[in-house]
Amino acid sequence: MTAIDISNVTKRYGDELALEGLDLTVREGEVYGFLGPNGAGKSTTINLVLDFIRPTAGEVSVLERDAQEGSLEIRERTGILPEGIELYDRLTGRQHVEFAIESKAADDDADELLERVGIADAADKKAGGYSKGMAQRLTLATALVGEPDLLILDEPSTGLDPNGAREMREIIREENRRGATVFFSSHVLGQVEAICDRVGILRDGELIAEDSIAGLEDAVPNRTRLRIRLDRIPEDSAAALSAVESIDGVSEVEAEGTTLVVSVADEAKTTVLRTIEDHGVTVEDFETDESSLEDLFVAYTAEEREVAP
Amino acid sequence: MSAIAVAKKDFRDAVRSRTLLVLTALFALFTVGGAYLASWAAEVFEGGAETTLDLIIALQTPAGYLVPIIALVVSYAAIAGERESGSLKFLLGLPHTRRDVVIGKILGRTGVVGVSIVVGFAFGLIGLFAFVGSVSLVDYLGFTLVTLLFGLVYVCIGVGLSSMTRSTTKAAIGAFGLIVFFWFAWSILVQLLLYAVEGQFFVEEFPDWYVTLLSLSPDAAYGSALGAVLGESGLTMSGMYGGDELPLAAGPWFGFVVLGVWALVPLAIGILRFDSIDL
Repeated sequence: MTAIDISNVTKRYGDELALEGLDLTVREGEVYGFLGPNGAGKSTTINLVLDFIRPTAGEVSVLERDAQEGSLEIRERTGILPEGIELYDRLTGRQHVEFAIESKAADDDADELLERVGIADAADKKAGGYSKGMAQRLTLATALVGEPDLLILDEPSTGLDPNGAREMREIIREENRRGATVFFSSHVLGQVEAICDRVGILRDGELIAEDSIAGLEDAVPNRTRLRIRLDRIPEDSAAALSAVESIDGVSEVEAEGTTLVVSVADEAKTTVLRTIEDHGVTVEDFETDESSLEDLFVAYTAEEREVAP
Repeated sequence: MSAIAVAKKDFRDAVRSRTLLVLTALFALFTVGGAYLASWAAEVFEGGAETTLDLIIALQTPAGYLVPIIALVVSYAAIAGERESGSLKFLLGLPHTRRDVVIGKILGRTGVVGVSIVVGFAFGLIGLFAFVGSVSLVDYLGFTLVTLLFGLVYVCIGVGLSSMTRSTTKAAIGAFGLIVFFWFAWSILVQLLLYAVEGQFFVEEFPDWYVTLLSLSPDAAYGSALGAVLGESGLTMSGMYGGDELPLAAGPWFGFVVLGVWALVPLAIGILRFDSIDL
């Protein structure tokens, strides 16, 4: 069973191509992380799933229904946290949740939901006075109404402090355990790494990778970040830098004073160190860290690199 | 019924607007002022405390001008504003069809305009009792109901406009352009047409098409409908243009038909348009 099935979808705004031939499948019961830099087309995709916008070409189906024809039924079974939340300034938090309960013909208790997202004390305050984080929590509360089968969260940690982001993740886990499929977008990798079963990476309107986190890590050649401390800056530092950059297997070089940070394939590490010493400086110390999702993300989304699938 | 849920929420939200409070106060001021003028008129016409005439002076003039303004101010941003701010995604993230949203908005905002009309007319009623002394409550009720319908028509026009654009500025320009059009441009254009056809502005008997065209604006239709309900011909085109045989459109009861068309056409265009757009 698939919760979301996007097949060969293109979305054009005038001359601007927002999505091109996108294929994406979210399986029932999984937590799917949708990663990509801002402007990659994540929100466009979510808007298509919710029938806020219509595709120029291609098919979108959600919970086995056509996203356009079956939009009402889809939204009856879906909880949504859209990007850049705007609420009704003149209505209180509780009124928002009550409206969602009435709209979904659910029998939830508004106060219980507000308690769950941690804003029970602001229930009677007008949403116009809410901070960004509170608005985000309130919208999450409305998304949880009626125990939805599918939760769609667009950048859910926006406006939340680390503690709030952790609580958000905890709620996502609880909902998933209850049986809900979760589809959420983020440009914050830690969010995704911590709770996702699978991840899709979007770049310039195209899905460039879709896999489990472990699978994605395997897909990228083992990369190490090498931090090298030198005794001094080489006399011809530009030449030294370009020499390092031109080594086969080096993808990125950054100089911070006498420290050099090099992203490099494992097998090229010693070549890097030797090349540096060739430029008349001594390597005082160096350390490596394992490739994190961050590097993986850079590897997949940076324009100039091609990574074998 | 999903539209009702939207309407209730929308009413709660919009009725708390400060602009509405100011406009309602202004409206109340005008109806009380109108009641005062009505008492003055009653003296002039000596014992001619003709109840319907009092009502017309006290209520029709302020309502004819202020109800369209209040209704458009209350409704022009109903959908465009939510699209602009993004709260429409909250609303449509919940299981409401876009048609439910348009209809809910119209019901909710008509409720808001209704509160304003009822408050304004309540003050007018108090004014009439104070200055004139007697009022026909049946006529008064009829007057209020027709005015509520008039408010609904302008809310439909406002929400219809609002559903066609993402920009509240454009919606506002559209709404007030429309007021100017109905109040001034409509009759001027019809006059010009008369000149073009007849070669002069003053004719002995106005042609049927001229009276028909003048009867088709929502404001003229409000007058006709009031005349029909109050059994008073002075308000209607037939009263103004005398003739024995009037074109169908100028007949008092036809005012309701015209009002209905002015409500349904913008509503239909709004729903169709809003259904097909990207938010």
